Order: sequence, then C-alpha cells, then structure tokens
Amino acid sequence: MMEAAFYSLTAITLLSALGVVLARNTLHAALLLGLCLAGVGGLFATLGADFLFGGQILIYVGGIAVLMTFVVMLAGRASELHLRQVNDQWLAALLICGVTFMGMQKIIDSFSNTRAPATTTATTAGVGRILLDEFAVPFEIISVILVAALVGAVVFSRPRAKRDRS
Amino acid sequence: MTLSHYLAVSTALFLIGLFGALTRRNILGILMGIELMFNAANINLAAFNRFLHPSGFVGSAVAVFIIAVAAAEIVVGLALVVAIYRAQGTLYTEDIHLLKG
Repeated sequence: MMEAAFYSLTAITLLSALGVVLARNTLHAALLLGLCLAGVGGLFATLGADFLFGGQILIYVGGIAVLMTFVVMLAGRASELHLRQVNDQWLAALLICGVTFMGMQKIIDSFSNTRAPATTTATTAGVGRILLDEFAVPFEIISVILVAALVGAVVFSRPRAKRDRS
Repeated sequence: MTLSHYLAVSTALFLIGLFGALTRRNILGILMGIELMFNAANINLAAFNRFLHPSGFVGSAVAVFIIAVAAAEIVVGLALVVAIYRAQGTLYTEDIHLLKG
C-alpha cells in the first residue's frame, strides 16, 4: 500500500517536473508545475508530515502555481509558442546535473538500510508549539519578510507613470 | 521504503529543477525551476525528520520556514518579471541586456 502510493506519487512528481522543464508552451509548464507541487504534497503525506501536506496544497498549489499561471497569461504572447525554449548551454547543464548526481549517489547509498519506524506521530501540534517556542524569533522575522515582499511586489508592479509623479 | 528512496526522489527533483533553471530562455521558466529545487529541499527535510528523528518536529518547522521564504521570493520575482516585461517587452534572458552597455 505504502509502496504503491510512493511510486505513483513519485512518477507523477518527476514526470510533471520534466514537463515543467521541457515544455515549449510556458502555460503548459505552469499548469504542470501545479501538478508537480501537488505530487510533492502527496509525498509529504506518505512521510506522515500532515502539516506540511496541508501547507503545500494551500500555499504552493493554491497560491504560487495560480500566481505563476496569472503572470504567464499576463506577460506571454501567442507568437512565442513556437520559439525554442532551451538555450545553447543545455549540454553543459546536463553535465553539471550528471556530476552532481554522482556526488549525491554516495550520500543516497549510505542511507539504503535506514527504515522508517512503524508509528507516526501527528506533527501539527508539535510544529505549532516549536514555532512559538524555540523558533519564535525566526517566526517573527518571517512575518516581517512577508510584509516586505508584499510591499515590494506592490512597488514593482505599479504603473510607471504613477511612480514618476510621486 | 528506506530513506534512500526519498533521497533519490528529491535528488532527481532537484536536478530537474537545476537543469530547468540553467537552460530555460524564459524568466518564468527559470523561476519554475527554482521552485522545483525548493520542493526537493523540503522533501529532504521531511524525510530526514521521519526516518532519523521520528519524535521530533524541527524538520517540519524548518520546512515551513522554507515554504514561507519561497512564497515571498516568488511574489517579488513575479512582480519583477511583470515590471521587466512592461519596460522591455520581452521575457527572454538574452534580450535583457540593459547593463551590458
């Protein structure tokens, strides 16, 4: 049961991630990004991280993927659908990925006997307690960062004429 | 299910995202590749938390911080993309060369 869920979610995640990277149409890439993020959310669920699963669906699939789709529709042109989307350095990038994989493989192999404990504990209560206790200062800093990001987004996306007048 | 299964998935996702960020000509494609890399890191955190410290919650808490920072990053990034598109009329990285003189 666990294996079936893991392998099907892995297939969804990795295939849609390949689609994100290789799709010619940027709108298709944005929609596949939503599917890929939902697959990652499913992997969180198989890991028993229930709070991350909910956060992933709410923030990534419901927020970031939708925002990405909006921007693609705002800033894209229909004539761009036939342009090549991959630059000339793809071979070098492939080599970098291959070399990085060689290095990662050693780390992956060293954990091949680590099995999960049978019992899972619900994480939501524990995460909430840790956020307000040990990680209280970073938690407050994150809220400042989010406010700064909001203000920055408004400033950057204001029309130019208005910005010059002020 | 061993830990290396999850590490292999997150490595594959990270490398796919890295490849996308390095090779896409479109800024939006680069941002999507960066999102994939963030997600790979989150899978790693959740997996290490589940397999090595099953009674702790620090991995999940740090992943929450990563999700928040990624959300802030993508909001600012997309606002910059819209501003660049408005000023330059293009989203292709080789056409954006204002500072090249």
